[in-house]
Amino acid sequence: MSFTVLLIKILEYMFVAGWIGSAIVLVLTGVEDVGTLLDKEDEASR
Amino acid sequence: MSSTSNAPTGNNRVRIVVATSVMLTFISYWRAAAVILNDLGSSAFYAGGIAEQAVGKSAPWFVLAVMLFAFAVRAVYVESCSMFVRGGVYRVVKEALGGTLAKLSVSALMFDYILTGPVSGVSAGQYIAGLINDFISVADTHGWIPIAVHRMFHGTPQVGVNGTAVVFGVAVTLYFWWENIKGIEESSEKALWVMKITTVMVVMLIGWSLFTLLKVGGHLPPFPTLGNIHYSDESLGFWKHSKLPHIFGVLGLIIGFGHSVLAMSGEESLAQVYRELAHPKLKNLKRTAIVIGVYSFVFTGLVSLLAVMLIPDDVRMKVYSDNLIAGLAMYMVGPQILRLAFRAFVVVVGFLILSGAVNTAIVGSNGVLNRVSEDGVLADWFRRPHKRYGTTYRIINLIVGLQLFTIIVSWGNIYTLGEAYAFGVVWSFVFKTISMLVLRYRYKGERNWKVPPNLHLFGVEIPIGLASVGMVLLSTAIVNLFTKSVATVSGIIFSVVFFGIFTFSEHVNRRKHADHAAQMKEQFQLQQAESVGRETIGIRSGNILVPVRDYNTLNHLKWVLQGTDTHEQDVVVMTARVSQFGTAAYGLSAEQVFSDYEQTLFTRTVSVAESFGKKISLLVVPARDPWSAVAQTAHNLESSTVVAGLSSKITAAEQAFSLGTAWEAIPEPKQQFLLQIVQPDAKVETFRIGPHTPTMKNEDVVLLHRLWLNVTREPGLENVHHHDILTEALTRFDRDFGALDHEQIVKELKRRGSEGGPLPVRRIADQIPTVQPEPNRPDRDQDQQAESSKTKSSANKKIDSE
Repeated sequence: MSFTVLLIKILEYMFVAGWIGSAIVLVLTGVEDVGTLLDKEDEASR
Repeated sequence: MSSTSNAPTGNNRVRIVVATSVMLTFISYWRAAAVILNDLGSSAFYAGGIAEQAVGKSAPWFVLAVMLFAFAVRAVYVESCSMFVRGGVYRVVKEALGGTLAKLSVSALMFDYILTGPVSGVSAGQYIAGLINDFISVADTHGWIPIAVHRMFHGTPQVGVNGTAVVFGVAVTLYFWWENIKGIEESSEKALWVMKITTVMVVMLIGWSLFTLLKVGGHLPPFPTLGNIHYSDESLGFWKHSKLPHIFGVLGLIIGFGHSVLAMSGEESLAQVYRELAHPKLKNLKRTAIVIGVYSFVFTGLVSLLAVMLIPDDVRMKVYSDNLIAGLAMYMVGPQILRLAFRAFVVVVGFLILSGAVNTAIVGSNGVLNRVSEDGVLADWFRRPHKRYGTTYRIINLIVGLQLFTIIVSWGNIYTLGEAYAFGVVWSFVFKTISMLVLRYRYKGERNWKVPPNLHLFGVEIPIGLASVGMVLLSTAIVNLFTKSVATVSGIIFSVVFFGIFTFSEHVNRRKHADHAAQMKEQFQLQQAESVGRETIGIRSGNILVPVRDYNTLNHLKWVLQGTDTHEQDVVVMTARVSQFGTAAYGLSAEQVFSDYEQTLFTRTVSVAESFGKKISLLVVPARDPWSAVAQTAHNLESSTVVAGLSSKITAAEQAFSLGTAWEAIPEPKQQFLLQIVQPDAKVETFRIGPHTPTMKNEDVVLLHRLWLNVTREPGLENVHHHDILTEALTRFDRDFGALDHEQIVKELKRRGSEGGPLPVRRIADQIPTVQPEPNRPDRDQDQQAESSKTKSSANKKIDSE
């Protein structure tokens, strides 16, 4: 396996694993975001 | 009281308090979102076209993926802002990885910022040129183009799209160059206005597109599988002749993602506006992040998708690759004239938002370079203020020079510009995210929020979310190095050159700053303070605040010193150093705020004070708006009076109105004060700023007294006072004005107003025509102090006009 192929494989794994983790980030922050949006307390004037 | 005075201290130095934080009018999250979307939203106009040119028809899926991923990147920014109020790339990287990598990351960020201008200006030009050509074509089909013109152009006359885009890009850049040299007044109001118009366009665009889809049908773009991704020669860069991109499926996804990543450019603005967000800051930052996330996902993501679904394949990339939204407008159902009109609307909106992005690029670059100069990594020569306007014109000239060079070299090729732009975008994100990862272990200070999820194993925190975002960004950035040859070469050259300039400047500055500090020490002692307060300066409440700017017009200071016993009442002389929008994100050094100009100004000020033998306190505050700075400083220092010179541009009443407006923006509780405008001939106009007892006409006093007499004749009302009558009358007025007799009251008040001559502009500040405080009047100070301490303004925000 050449260096380039190895590098590409590593990058591919990083990208896929990163996306799986980022999807979890999206779900968790999304749930939090809904709470933030519904919380009208302290809402600054427009 | 401290020894703040013009009288030389033991070592002959005058202490000057230099506030290093820009005085801000805090903005709501809606306004903050509008400011960011002016930059972030502008990419919708070109990102889809660039992505499709690179990877083919499945590009919208990549753009949508980028817009989805942008939510996760935004979370990184929220975490960084929860740690540092000024949580931009430079600060975070410097904190985590040290000065060298911070300089490198800021070089990449500069590449991003500097290219924002050309890519936006050229894109706006492409939209305009496309519209002109379509108008000509339509006119031609109706036979409105004379045959002679036809012959001259050998067919339908058309303007050169790229040439027009270059001319337009250069013109817009030059326009904003001049505005920035003069010190443009940036406001969130303008940004909000642009976003309102853009929202109207987006709603119409999506609504009309969906209606068209219902009418004529459409197909989703092909999913981004290895077979569906069609690379152009340019999109593979150094891998043009390699088989690798055609073998590895996930690599294809990374390449496509990398060619679409510029769609989320502008995220850095989130860190820039954070400092200006109103309380509760973190919650409002999250709200801002949600608003910009949803907006950009819908605008950039959905519009790219709809464009591929509605614009026929044979014309989409051939005709509309550089103005995709305009193309979308032309392929809706409906009469041609209506579509053309809508396209013109799209071009107008594009012009507004893209031109705004050109300005953002100049302001942002200027802000970043000013910020790094704080650490001495940019030679002082660049920071020298403009003689007339006080702006850092050399930095602006450098930025604009680079932008003009880029526009001309690219010759309106939006694809090349966009590809290069992505280099700066993705690498600044990479530096930022890696730094945030490092700071998870190194930073021990306050951190109010973390990117989830975080796993705890054997007492060690594993930041899974943050690491995941970092992995996506890093893998994309590395692949981009291979697939974007122009961006890689130009980006590396640019970053290395800037890095070299920073390093060289830092080396030269070390010695120069030491000399300068020694020179300054002989004359002034700068005391940095994060914010302005009485304790910081060492003064008592009820003081007189004297704003100064022009060292040739200090008559009002002389007037104050003449009539004030400074043992009894403190005099604070302040100057506001106007900073531009966004610079609030960066901490300012005392040297930045206290430039050569301020040094000259205070030298003159001190000599005036010395000629009277009176003590004054000196203060410099950076601010976005001088009026806000004066109002906030008067508020913070609990000043009883502000004494200003008459402006050469506006009247005293207008000055009072501006200060009154700024006072209105200060949150409760706040204190009223007097504003005195001293004219060159020493005549003084006095205004009350804030709510106060109105000047009553004699007949009103008589009427009030008569009513009181009548009321107290009623059994059980013997103890009613005059103020009870007024309270009852005002309560009834408030109720009637709110509902019952609104129209009638407005009519009546208009009549009264016209009887008293033409009404001036709405008065927030109320003039006191009868009060002309005389210099040397001993009781003046006590009166004013009593006046100011009397009223802490309550919820009543509207101030009665005469």
